[in-house]
Amino acid sequence: MKARNGGLLVLAVALVIGSVLVGSRREGAEFAGSDGRAMEAVATIQPDYRPWFGFVWEPPPEIASGLFALQAALGAGIVGYYLGFKRGQAQGRRSRTDAGD
Amino acid sequence: MHITEGFLPPLHAAAWTAVSLPFIIASAWRVNRLMRDQPQTKLLLAASGAFAFVISALKLPSLTGSCSHATGTGLGAILFGPSVMALLGTIVLAFQALLLAHGGITTLGANVFSMAVAGPWVAYAVLRGSRWLNTPLAAGVFLAAMLGDLTTYTVTAGQLALAFPDPASGMVGSFIKFVGVFAPTQLPLAVVEGLLTVVIVDFLREYSGDELRSLEFPPETFAAEARP
Repeated sequence: MKARNGGLLVLAVALVIGSVLVGSRREGAEFAGSDGRAMEAVATIQPDYRPWFGFVWEPPPEIASGLFALQAALGAGIVGYYLGFKRGQAQGRRSRTDAGD
Repeated sequence: MHITEGFLPPLHAAAWTAVSLPFIIASAWRVNRLMRDQPQTKLLLAASGAFAFVISALKLPSLTGSCSHATGTGLGAILFGPSVMALLGTIVLAFQALLLAHGGITTLGANVFSMAVAGPWVAYAVLRGSRWLNTPLAAGVFLAAMLGDLTTYTVTAGQLALAFPDPASGMVGSFIKFVGVFAPTQLPLAVVEGLLTVVIVDFLREYSGDELRSLEFPPETFAAEARP
């Protein structure tokens, strides 16, 4: 089970790395977001459409990268806390039963 | 899958908000009841929401030379049922709309519907279907997370096609165009999300037995029910 999960994680990382390698060989590859490209597609379908509402607040690019990192860190932190907590709990249970034997 | 602020005509924006709102309210009610009846699952719920939070912050590169992000909503949907994800997904999307200029307030309803309603429901249905067909749990979890992810992007393409039908080929032509933008980028990312979800579910099966039992996860297979 452990080996299988390790394999799956390696596969996931390999997919991402492979994507960068294959993707950057393509002409004009700049890894633009697909959301942005969809909005460009809107412009080709209806060139006269103008967004009627602007962002409430747009962070400066450097701040935006920090906020994205913050979002990822908060998420990863909580997930990591949970996984570690559960593992520790299971280990504690095991060592208690060992001591009881 | 984020439709950018202002990129849905006012009528469409209002309609999608009206569609999503009941799901969000039902979700808040469901989460509230879950906290009261099964408080031992609180931490797991937080972790499922956090999973969507981190996954949707990571823009991953794709084979096509563009990048996008997975949704991470499949995990919570298969563990807790799809209705809880509407609230968790709305929190993620509101954070991104307000602080990151990603998505938007006017398009929040449409984005909630694709990421926090349609994706989770499909993920849940796929898992149930796979249990009914008796496929191994890992395969069911993988397909659920992957197809939930792809559904979100397909629904977004549909929402944009409804709002912006192609002058020549109509909504269908427009839909094909938007799917063409999303699908090639999203497919490998959906596979990555599927793999990660399988690994996490496997961990939970080993270490979080109590929570999973109280959530009745994994759902029983059809054959197990039919056995005398």
